[in-house]
Amino acid sequence: MLDDLTLHSRRRLLSGLVILMFLVFLGRLYQLQLIYQEEYGKKSEENSIRTISKEPVRGYMIDRLGRLVVDNRPSFTVTIMPFEFDHGNLERLARLLSLEPAVLQERIREGEQYSRFAPARVARDIGFRELSAIEENRATLPGVSYQIESKRFYPTRATASHIIGYTKEISKEQIAALGEEYRQGDVFGAAGLEQHYDRILRGKKGAEFSVVNVRGQVIGPFEGGAHDIDPVEGNDLILAMDFGVQALAESLMTNRRGAVVALDVRDGGVIAAVSKPDYDLSLFSGVTLPAVWTDLNRDEARPLFNRTTLTRYPPGSTYKMVLAIAALEGKVVSPSWRVDCTGSYRVGNKVFKDLHVHGSTDMIEAIQRSCNVYFYQLMMKVGLDPWSRYGALLGFGKPTGIDIGEESSGLLPTTEWMNRRYGERGWTRGFLPSLGIGQGELGVTPVQMARYAMVLANKGELYRPHAVSAVQDKITGATVPIPVEKRTVELSAATWRTVREGMRRVVMEPGGTASLARIRGIEVAGKTGTAENPHGKDHSWFVGFAPFDEPRIAIAVMVENVGYGGSFAAPIAGLCMEQFLFGRLIRHDPKPPPKEVETASPEDLASSNQPRPGGTGRDE
Amino acid sequence: MISPSRQGVDLTLLLVSVALIATGVISIYSATNNAGVSDLATRQLIWAGIGLAAMLVTFLLPFRFLQRICFPSYFVSLILLLSVLLLGKTVSGSTSWFSIGNLRFQPSEFAKVATALALSAYLARTDVTLSNFRHLIVAGAIVLLPVGLIMMQPDFGTAIIYLAMFLPVMYWGGATKFAIIAVLAPGAAAVAGLFGTTTFLIAIVIIGVLLYMTKENRLVAALIFSVTVVVGVSVQFIYAGLKSYQQKRIDTFLDPAADPLGAGYNVLQSKVAIGSGGLFGKGYLEGTQTQLRFIPEQWTDFIFCVPGEEFGFIGAATVLFLFLALVLRGIKLGASVKNPFGSILAISITSILTGHIFINIGMSLGLLPVIGVPLPFLSYGGSALLSNMIMIGLLLNLYAHRKEY
Repeated sequence: MLDDLTLHSRRRLLSGLVILMFLVFLGRLYQLQLIYQEEYGKKSEENSIRTISKEPVRGYMIDRLGRLVVDNRPSFTVTIMPFEFDHGNLERLARLLSLEPAVLQERIREGEQYSRFAPARVARDIGFRELSAIEENRATLPGVSYQIESKRFYPTRATASHIIGYTKEISKEQIAALGEEYRQGDVFGAAGLEQHYDRILRGKKGAEFSVVNVRGQVIGPFEGGAHDIDPVEGNDLILAMDFGVQALAESLMTNRRGAVVALDVRDGGVIAAVSKPDYDLSLFSGVTLPAVWTDLNRDEARPLFNRTTLTRYPPGSTYKMVLAIAALEGKVVSPSWRVDCTGSYRVGNKVFKDLHVHGSTDMIEAIQRSCNVYFYQLMMKVGLDPWSRYGALLGFGKPTGIDIGEESSGLLPTTEWMNRRYGERGWTRGFLPSLGIGQGELGVTPVQMARYAMVLANKGELYRPHAVSAVQDKITGATVPIPVEKRTVELSAATWRTVREGMRRVVMEPGGTASLARIRGIEVAGKTGTAENPHGKDHSWFVGFAPFDEPRIAIAVMVENVGYGGSFAAPIAGLCMEQFLFGRLIRHDPKPPPKEVETASPEDLASSNQPRPGGTGRDE
Repeated sequence: MISPSRQGVDLTLLLVSVALIATGVISIYSATNNAGVSDLATRQLIWAGIGLAAMLVTFLLPFRFLQRICFPSYFVSLILLLSVLLLGKTVSGSTSWFSIGNLRFQPSEFAKVATALALSAYLARTDVTLSNFRHLIVAGAIVLLPVGLIMMQPDFGTAIIYLAMFLPVMYWGGATKFAIIAVLAPGAAAVAGLFGTTTFLIAIVIIGVLLYMTKENRLVAALIFSVTVVVGVSVQFIYAGLKSYQQKRIDTFLDPAADPLGAGYNVLQSKVAIGSGGLFGKGYLEGTQTQLRFIPEQWTDFIFCVPGEEFGFIGAATVLFLFLALVLRGIKLGASVKNPFGSILAISITSILTGHIFINIGMSLGLLPVIGVPLPFLSYGGSALLSNMIMIGLLLNLYAHRKEY
C-alpha cells in the first residue's frame, strides 16, 4: 500500500506544511522581537501588570423583624511586599506594630514563599495608633502598606454566638477540603451560620490591575483602572430569628449552663437558640489572640460547645408524651385506663420511685401531674420497640437537619441497640421503667425537643428547623425564600387531643407542674422534666407551645444542674413565649393584656417595616 | 546485543533531542529561580537521566518484539487512564495524576505512545485499507477511546494532540478526502456547537456541502452527516450539564480574553516577555518578565518565553530550528523506513511531537488560543519528558531497522 513514489510526494507535502508553520513562527518572532521590540521592551520595563485582589464585603444578617444583627466594620491590615521590604527595617516596623520581631519575620517569610511580588498580610485589624504610625513612616518603610478589609460587627444586645458562628483565616487543610473557590489568606465561615451559608455570604473577589516597574514598585493603575474588576458583595441572610426573644432568653440564662430553642411552629423557623455558657463573637472578629483561643478551649464549662445541637441529655418527664402516644396509637390502653399511684413501683427487686403519691390517675392526669408510677406501668405494657418506633416517628434518634452546623443524633434505644450494648442476656425488662420516664440511655438534643414540641403544637406537622428563612440577593435585590421542608406525623385525632389536653393542664390547671410558664391572657401548654444526673443536681427541662388553640411558638428549655423543671425551665419558657407573642413582656402591665402582635411570618419578611442595609423598606 | 541488521544511529536526531533537553533544564532553572520552587530544574535533570535509560532500552528493543507489544501496551494504557479517573489526584481541576510516593505520574502521556503504536500496528496490517469504511471506524476508535477518557479528566489539550496525530497518519496511510472529512466533521461540529447555535448551523451546512461534493456513497455520507449533527447537538447538552468551573475552562479555551485574570493575562505577558527580548535577549537570569514571575507557572506551558526573553530572537530562532530539524528528520524517516508499521509509527510519533510544538509555541506567540499542552523537552514535567524520550528511542530504533522489510 505504500509505494515509494506516493511516499515521496506525501513526504514532500508534510515537510512543506511543517516548514510553512515554522516560517510563520519565525516571522512572528521577527515581528515581536525586532519590529516591536522597543514597544514591548518599554512595556516590560514600565508596564508590567500586577493584580491585587479586592476583598468583597461579606453579606449581612437580618432578623425576622428587619433588625440588622450581623454587620461589618472596616479593619486595617498591614501588608508587606517581600521583594521591596528592607529587612533592616524589621525591628522598627515590629515596634510600630507592637509585634515580636520574630513573629513579623516569620510572616514575611511565609509570604515570600508564596511570592516575593505579592503583598503578604502581616498584621490584621490594627488599631488607629498603629495605623497612623505606619502612615507617618511610609516613606522610610518601602514595601509596607495597608489594605482596608472588613470585619464582623454585632450591633445587638444578644450574642447568639453558637448560631451565628465566626469567620477566620482559612488553613491549608481547609482549602484542600473545600476546593477551588478558596485561596490562601481568604477569610471564611468556620462555625454556625457563617459556615453553613459561607458560599452565600462571601461574595466574589475583585481584582485591581496595577502597573509596576522593573523593580516591582507600583506606578499606578493599569490603563486608568479600565480592567479592574469590582468585588461582588456577599448576599444577605434573612433570619427566622427574633433577636428580642434571643436577647431575653440569653439574659434569663445568665450564669446558667443549658440551652433554649424556640421554633415558629408555622414553618420551623428558629426564633431563638441559646447555648450557655457562650462567648463574645467579637473576640473572633479581626485578629483572634491565641490566648483567647486557649482560654475558650480550656474552660471546663466548654463555652464553644453548642449545647442546642451537640448534647445528649436525658429528657426526663418531657418525654412522657411519646410513651402516651405509643400506648394510645398501639391501642395498648385507653385514655381512661387508671393506675393507683402509691409513690413507687417494683420490678423484680428494683424499686422505682415517684415524687408524690398521686393516687388513682388516668392518662391526662398523669401528664398533668407527671406521675412516674403511671408511666412505669405503661412502659411495661407498651414494650421497648413500639416505644422507640414512636420516638423515631417524632424525630428522635436522628439529626434534625438544622442549618447551624454540626448536630448530634441523640440516642434512641431499641432492642437491637440494647443487645449490642449489653449483650442479649445483659439486660432485662427492669431497664424499661426508667426509659418510660425519659431517663436511662435515652439521649436528646434541645433542638430535637423543640421540634417535638412543634409537632405536638401542630398535631403532626413537622418542619425542618432552620435559622435562615430567605436569602437577599445583592445583585438582583430579590429575596429568595429557602424552601420549607415538611412531613406529617399521622396520629389519630383522639391521641392528639389526649396528650395536648394533658399538656394544657400542666400549665393551666391547678395541680399541673408548670404554672410558672403561664402568660396573661394566653393558654399555654407544656411539660416539665427533671432529669436525674449522676454527677450533680438534676437538669431542669420544659417543652411547650402557645397559644394552645392556634399555636405560633414552640419551645424547649433545658437548664443544667438546678433542679425541678417546673421551677427553673418553665418560667424561662413562659417569658420567652410572651416576648415573642407580644413583642415585649406584658406581665406587669396594669391594664388587661393587649392583643398579641402579629409577628412576621417568612412571607412578609421581604417587606418588613424596619430599615435594613441595602434592603427595601416597606412603603407606608 | 545489537542485532546484525542494525544500521547505525541517527546522530542528528539524538543530538537535537539532547540540545533541546539541555535548553529545557536551563530555562526551567531561570523560570523557577525566584519562585520558591527552585528544585524543579534538578528534578527535570533527574527525569532526563531516567529518560535517557528509557530511551536506550526502547532503542535496543528487537523490532519484532516492538510490533508484538503494540496492542498489549495500548490496553494497559486504557486501564491506567480509566483508573486515574477513579483513583487519581486532582491538580487544578484536572484528575490526571497518579502519585507514587513523591513522584507523580501522568498516564495520558504514556497513552500517547501506546496509541501511536496500536494505530500503526492496525494500519500496517495487509488486510486493512483506509478506503474501507469499517477499517476507518476501527482506526478512529483506537484514537477516540483514550481521547474520551482524557476528556473526562478533563484535559482538552492532550485530547487535541491525539486528533493532531490522527490526520497526518490517515493521510500517510492513504485515506481519501472523503475519509478525512468524515473524521474532521464531528470534531468540527463539536467545537462549533460550543460557540453557539448560529456557528453550529453554519458549520453543519459547510460539512453537508463538502460531503456532497466528494460524491461518495450517499448512504455513508448521510450516516456521517447525522453522526456529526448528533455530536454537535449533544456537546451543547453536555456543556449545559457541566459544573461552572468546567464551563469556565471551556469558555476560556474558546475566548481567552473572557478571562483577563487567567489565560488572557498570560498571553499578554508572554508576548511582552518574548517581544522585549529583542535580537540578543536580556541575558540569562536577567529577563525581568521571567524573574518577576509575571507569568504564572511559566516553567510548564509558557517555557518558550524564557529563551525568547533572555536569549532574544537568536535564542528563540535556534530553538525553532532545533524543533524543525527534529520534525523533518522524523518525516524523512517515515519515508525511508521500509516496514509499513515502522513507516506509519514514525509519522505518528512525529505528528504527536509536531502537534505539541505547534500548539504550544503558537500559544506563546499569541497566534493560537491558550490550550494547556507542554512544549516537548522544554516544559517541566517528568511524565512528558519520559514519554518524549521514549518516542525518540522508538524513532532511533526505526532508523536502525529502516532497511528491514
